[in-house]
Amino acid sequence: MSELPQLDPVIHAQARLRVTVALAGLHTGDQITFPRLQQLLDMTAGNLSTHLRKLEDAEYVEITKAYEHRTPVTLVRLTAAGRAAFESYTKALHQLLDATGGD
Amino acid sequence: MDDEPMSAEESLNLIAQQNRRTRRELGGGPARMLAAWAFAWIVGWGFTYFATRTENVPGWLGGVVVAVLFVAAMVYTGVVSARAGRGIRGPSKTVGAMYGYSWALSSVGLTVIDIRITQFGSLSSDQVSLLWSGTWLLLTGVLYLTGGMLWQDKLMYGLGAWMIVSAGLSVVVGFPANFLVLAVCGGGGFLLGAIVYFAREKSGRR
Repeated sequence: MSELPQLDPVIHAQARLRVTVALAGLHTGDQITFPRLQQLLDMTAGNLSTHLRKLEDAEYVEITKAYEHRTPVTLVRLTAAGRAAFESYTKALHQLLDATGGD
Repeated sequence: MDDEPMSAEESLNLIAQQNRRTRRELGGGPARMLAAWAFAWIVGWGFTYFATRTENVPGWLGGVVVAVLFVAAMVYTGVVSARAGRGIRGPSKTVGAMYGYSWALSSVGLTVIDIRITQFGSLSSDQVSLLWSGTWLLLTGVLYLTGGMLWQDKLMYGLGAWMIVSAGLSVVVGFPANFLVLAVCGGGGFLLGAIVYFAREKSGRR
């Protein structure tokens, strides 16, 4: 029996998976503000920050604080490593489905 | 609650679900904007053509209908793209804004040129009509060509090419059939584009 692929534990959790999917939906190089991301995901600010921090620790996400018209804004984007990790994660999912028959 | 184990299948479903949501919120594609422009062109120019064929409708009313529909479509396009781009920063936003300004700048430029040539009074009113329909279809076509290049979108590029063909056709057929070309070929082109983009959105392709 061939070895089953491991699922990246950073991405393989409901909330973080959704965050990753939303960020992967942006064009490469684009950033999204924290409130807009929150709205795309229907998450509380506290919940989203917690998961973003975990993704940031894994260097999948880059968080930048900037000022726009003297108002602080938090900008989030998926790093190249994050994008690559998400791609291999989805690949692993498909491999798992194939391996277990998946009807 | 978040750390409940997911099966591969549940995981893929969640990805698909969030993907749909993200795409819808971020504007997905130009289908709805193209549909608005298709409506403006087909109804506006169709009505203008109808006005030239009957005695019951004054000629100027066609111009008013076109102006109202075009302003409405412009506002709609502006609102939809502004809402989709809310909270997004980066290259795609800059490119989108530059593309929007290209439309505004070149439209103002062409309006000045066409009005000036019209004012000389050396062209008959039929020829003036051809000047306007030909130049505007050409400008629309060229801007769609550039959009196709910017977003590497062959369908958009094809729409631009079609508009340029229509520009030529509108001056060849002459007045008042040029309005029919604007409605059927121009508006029809937008409509076809909208249908194809809608179908793509439904099937989940970008």
